[in-house]
Amino acid sequence: MTQREIFFVANEVNELGGVGRWQAHMARLFAERGHRVRIIGIAPPEVPMDLGTHPPFETLTLYDRRPRGRREPHLPLGGIAPAVRRREADRRAAAERLSRLFRAARPGAVIIVTQVWAMEWVALADTAGHPVVGMSHESFEASRRSSRFERVRRYYKDVDRLLVLTQEDADLWVGQGLNNVGFLPNPLPVMPAAPSPRTEKAVACIGRLSHEKGVDLLLDAWAEAAPRQPGWILRIYGAGDQEAALRRQCTELALDDSVEWAGQTDDVTGALARSSVFVQSSRGEGFPLALLEAMACGVPCAAFDCSPGVREIIRNGEDGLLARHGNTGELARQLVRLMADENLRDTIGERARQNVRRFAPEVVTRRWEELFDLLER
Amino acid sequence: MSIDRPEPGGADPDISVVVIVYNDAPRLTTAVRSVLDQTLRNVEVVIADDCSTDGSYEVARSLAAGHPGRVRALRLPENSGGCGEPRNQGLAEARGRYVMFLDSDDTLERNACRNLLEAAERTGADLVSGRCVRVYTDSRHGKRVPWYPWLYRCTRTVESIAELPDLFVFDTLSTNKCYRRAFLVENGLAFPRGIHYEDLLFSAQAYLAAGRITLIPHTVYHWHVEQKSTTKSISNRRHEINNFTDRLEIHRRIDALLNRRGLDELKLHKDIKFLKHDLVLYLRELPFLDDAYRHRFAELARGYLQDFPQAAYARLDRVQAICAYLLMREDWDNLMPAVDTLINHDKISAPLAERDGRVYWCDRYLDDPGAREVMDVTALGHHGRPLERMFLRNVLTGYAVRGDLVLLEGAVVNPLHAVPADARLTAELEFRARRRSLQTFRFPVRTLRHEGDTLVWQASVPLSGRFRPLGVVDEVWDVRLHLRADGRRTTSRITAGNVDLESAAAVRVRPRLSRLMADRLAPEVSAKGHLAFRLAQHGAAARHGRALVDRHLHGSTARTVKGAYRTLRAVKRDLASGTRKVQVYHRMLRLLPVRRGTVVFESHLGKQYSDSPRALYEELRRRRLPVTAIWSYAGERPDGFPDDAELVRRWSWRYLRALAQAEFWIDNQGFPLRLAKRPETTYIQTWHGSALKKMGFDEPGYRVMSEQEQRAYQEALDRFDHFVVRSEHDVRTLARAYRIPEEKLLRTGYPRNDALVRAARDPRVPDPSARRLAERLGIGPDRRVVLYAPTFRAGAGGGVQAFRLPFDVQRFADRFGDRYTLLVRSHYLNRVTLPPSVAGRVIDVTGEGDITPLLLLADALVTDYSSVMFDYALLRRPLVFYVYDWEEYSRDARGTYVDLLKEAPGPVARTEDELLAALSDLPAVGAHYEAQLKEFVDKYGEYDRGDAAARIVDRFFGPTGEAR
Repeated sequence: MTQREIFFVANEVNELGGVGRWQAHMARLFAERGHRVRIIGIAPPEVPMDLGTHPPFETLTLYDRRPRGRREPHLPLGGIAPAVRRREADRRAAAERLSRLFRAARPGAVIIVTQVWAMEWVALADTAGHPVVGMSHESFEASRRSSRFERVRRYYKDVDRLLVLTQEDADLWVGQGLNNVGFLPNPLPVMPAAPSPRTEKAVACIGRLSHEKGVDLLLDAWAEAAPRQPGWILRIYGAGDQEAALRRQCTELALDDSVEWAGQTDDVTGALARSSVFVQSSRGEGFPLALLEAMACGVPCAAFDCSPGVREIIRNGEDGLLARHGNTGELARQLVRLMADENLRDTIGERARQNVRRFAPEVVTRRWEELFDLLER
Repeated sequence: MSIDRPEPGGADPDISVVVIVYNDAPRLTTAVRSVLDQTLRNVEVVIADDCSTDGSYEVARSLAAGHPGRVRALRLPENSGGCGEPRNQGLAEARGRYVMFLDSDDTLERNACRNLLEAAERTGADLVSGRCVRVYTDSRHGKRVPWYPWLYRCTRTVESIAELPDLFVFDTLSTNKCYRRAFLVENGLAFPRGIHYEDLLFSAQAYLAAGRITLIPHTVYHWHVEQKSTTKSISNRRHEINNFTDRLEIHRRIDALLNRRGLDELKLHKDIKFLKHDLVLYLRELPFLDDAYRHRFAELARGYLQDFPQAAYARLDRVQAICAYLLMREDWDNLMPAVDTLINHDKISAPLAERDGRVYWCDRYLDDPGAREVMDVTALGHHGRPLERMFLRNVLTGYAVRGDLVLLEGAVVNPLHAVPADARLTAELEFRARRRSLQTFRFPVRTLRHEGDTLVWQASVPLSGRFRPLGVVDEVWDVRLHLRADGRRTTSRITAGNVDLESAAAVRVRPRLSRLMADRLAPEVSAKGHLAFRLAQHGAAARHGRALVDRHLHGSTARTVKGAYRTLRAVKRDLASGTRKVQVYHRMLRLLPVRRGTVVFESHLGKQYSDSPRALYEELRRRRLPVTAIWSYAGERPDGFPDDAELVRRWSWRYLRALAQAEFWIDNQGFPLRLAKRPETTYIQTWHGSALKKMGFDEPGYRVMSEQEQRAYQEALDRFDHFVVRSEHDVRTLARAYRIPEEKLLRTGYPRNDALVRAARDPRVPDPSARRLAERLGIGPDRRVVLYAPTFRAGAGGGVQAFRLPFDVQRFADRFGDRYTLLVRSHYLNRVTLPPSVAGRVIDVTGEGDITPLLLLADALVTDYSSVMFDYALLRRPLVFYVYDWEEYSRDARGTYVDLLKEAPGPVARTEDELLAALSDLPAVGAHYEAQLKEFVDKYGEYDRGDAAARIVDRFFGPTGEAR
């Protein structure tokens, strides 16, 4: 196996969140395989994540403060504002630092651009002939609703490979005229030694309490499901800006007796071990780690079919149950099916734990290395 | 810096690309370059030269010399005359694990090899196919057309071609594919020699032999084509039709392969594709060929088609089936018009024949039941179409030049005597430039009279004198015949038919830009077989003049002018764009003062003058209140809108200005969501029906919107100042779903339903609008009327599904025709076609804008899930629910507020028999469901008391009203 130098170039080195977790995890996996890994952030994180005391990779941040956006009005008569001039100079200087790093790297090095904003700097830099892999960590649909859509089409057009999360997302990007698209799933973050005993009559929901995570939809579904399965509780882990509104909604729906607000938790595996069903009612997801974790713990899942990532992870009826996006009645029915049938919970839970191994770190890492080899051929 | 990579040419290449060339030296380099520039570097090129005489081989050799180890060149000892043999020879030389084929005039997309290889290694497929794009090299706008894009929308892998018959029958190219070389070798796959269409056979063999096939949506192959602007001459058409022999031979060989493997299903798909596409391709050429060729073609076709199973014909479009049938019988008199319809969709080319209430293409063959089925064109609905909307075949029968005059003669088909014998007839010929021009020329038609099934006409057109084109910008002129019969106008194009225009004389013309631009006008045949004229230069002066202009058209001055013109057009487009209009509306129009007493009305997004806005408008008029009424309409200027109101087109500047300055907005669905309402304007939202299905924020689609999208939607809803409801059910459903606060609710009932309530109160007095409608439809007072008003079904893409009557309308007419008249009202976007046999007993009323008179007229209603049930119930007349697709509906529905099966105030029929049984005794239905109907009305229409319009007008426009 070729030992490579691998650069991650990301918006931040260690921003708290799904992408940050993925990056640190992946960097660690590559380092364990003997590659030399460096993570380069453009800007310092807003909410930093702890990378541990001795991470097996080097880190570097280009800016001391987050640089401002690019769009600046030109002055009349075609002039450029001095502030813009300064910013462009900074940008070039930062790109030059990247160029120096890339030039110093041995042949066989690979540059992974984690997010499209970071690509704006890599595009300015001299990549010294090393292959560049661009990434988009969200579903096509999510990109399309944001400014990233145009930026992905522009900045990732000529990278050696653009990686998205699933085949379905890749096909959609190809449909937009990008011909360099492939896909790679996220690796499973944990694999607990033992599955959840699935004995407690509890349904778990884990995530930020934000509009995007759709806990309001879950409460509506729960209002339909709970009366049909008395004795079960819905345990909601997490905190966020919607908490007050959600608690109000919970009371209005007269669900206070069957809903438990468990607050934020660092021990996801522990929380899953105390549940027999996992539910996800998000309005949008990329390749949801929470779902992978629940399946790894052998907890059967019910989820909205909100993105290709979810469809990729769950095979409906086999290792989890899906409901049409936003259809709370259907989500309620799926929850009731799981709550009512212990055998079904066991079958689906065990199969989930088994099937989710196709995203095991060693599998995903191998696919990355195969990609690196392909880009060299 | 140098990069350590596997030495190119060292190890075996991943892919060998076989590039074939024959006398194409200039483009060969580009093709080979596109392989060498691949992102996948471990690729080799094998150039196979088919014994070119133009130096292609020398180019190939120098490419090989320039890229040792990556490019090799070979030469066939003698020319093979096709693509097959060079590919075979190239394949024999290839060393790669995979092989691709490339033609010297095409190119590979940069990532093609990497994408194909990646897919092949990931899935282990023997054959990977990617998207091919046709690139029009002579197109000014870089036109690109993907080849069968629907096959290449997403990545998919099949274990056998039988899983994907469309791939087998449509994508018969060998070039957009990557083959595992060992797979080709083991199966002995090679191209046939000395025959055209070698790709078809090779692809078929490869598909059938492949153990696994993967399709990828990535573009891999650029097929360069030239858009031939010159029309084809008879001789090259003959040449094409000669190829038919080769095509049949290849198809016979493929059939043999399929038979050997017992793949009957795949064979059927191929037969259908042959009939629908291959055969049609040749049929379309027939009008341009002479009798001898036609006969030869028919013989060949018959020899092949006679073994096709009946199932293949059953899948054809009507006209395709008719053409195939007539071709087998070599009935040229009927076939040629049918081919005209094949080329010009929707054209009525035959006189048609009506027998026993059905309509047939022609009156021959009707004794044979099988043929009768083929000829039955009732479903096309030609018989119900008004003359204005008929596109009639008009055949040129004579063309002559007499001095300054062009003498034209022709015959227009008169289907089912749509033009009556005694009609007053006039006609004129119109010459219109194909590219937009400022002028058209019209010339009267001298004689016009009935002759059998046709109307024959003659005209002598003074083209030399009165026809004055500009020159240069208007080179091609199309000819139309406008025919008027008793004031009704139908327009036809003139089919060239058997008249020889190629050798016909040209006439002198004098363009306005002088004879230096052109001096002659020559007839020609358009691609669709119609007569056209083209400016030509015969004299030396004209030829030189025109050449000079052409040179300048590409000069710098011309570019500047064209550029300025384009900018101007862009500015104009921008000004007319929705975004710009919305901007101007908010920044400027809304600052204008409010005009007191103006009311803007809109019903169903401007599509109708109907519903509650109409009822309110009529109430205002009845009271002679001094309001300025403005009605909005969508699309074409409509009939039936009131005369005493200003009409503005939706999204026009006047519309926006009216909305910006109005004191009242009244509508039943929603003024454009993007237009904010100023606080001084009062918005009365009457809404258009109680809800059965979940609406607004109760719909999953709205629930999963992002915060920002939900906020925008809520802001649009917050524009409503008042919202009309007709029951507490509406309050619980609609008002909640649209988050309308209590104080905005108008508990008055629907103004549109006032008439229904009044009719129910006094059933003996017929409503005048219903009486007028009955007269217009020709329904006698002794007949009972049943209205069938189903809701529309959404198609897969969210659009409206095509409407098919879900019961046998003939059966209904046979059984109830003596008693009932059935009115059918489908969604306004749908079309209903009824056979002539049910005329008078079943009537299509889809075109009636306002539904209220229909409800008033109907003695019973048949519906399914339409909210019209809540309104019709007010009449206390029998309701029948025909829910033939309940399972599908309840599965796909986004959820309902009402349990229809439980609450339906009438019989619920699941099958046609149940429906007819329920209709057989309507009085019994009425009696049986009386109590339930009352309960239903109490629940869903409690506020509909017949005074809704009056109460709303009192409140807002009355003496104490808010408007005063």
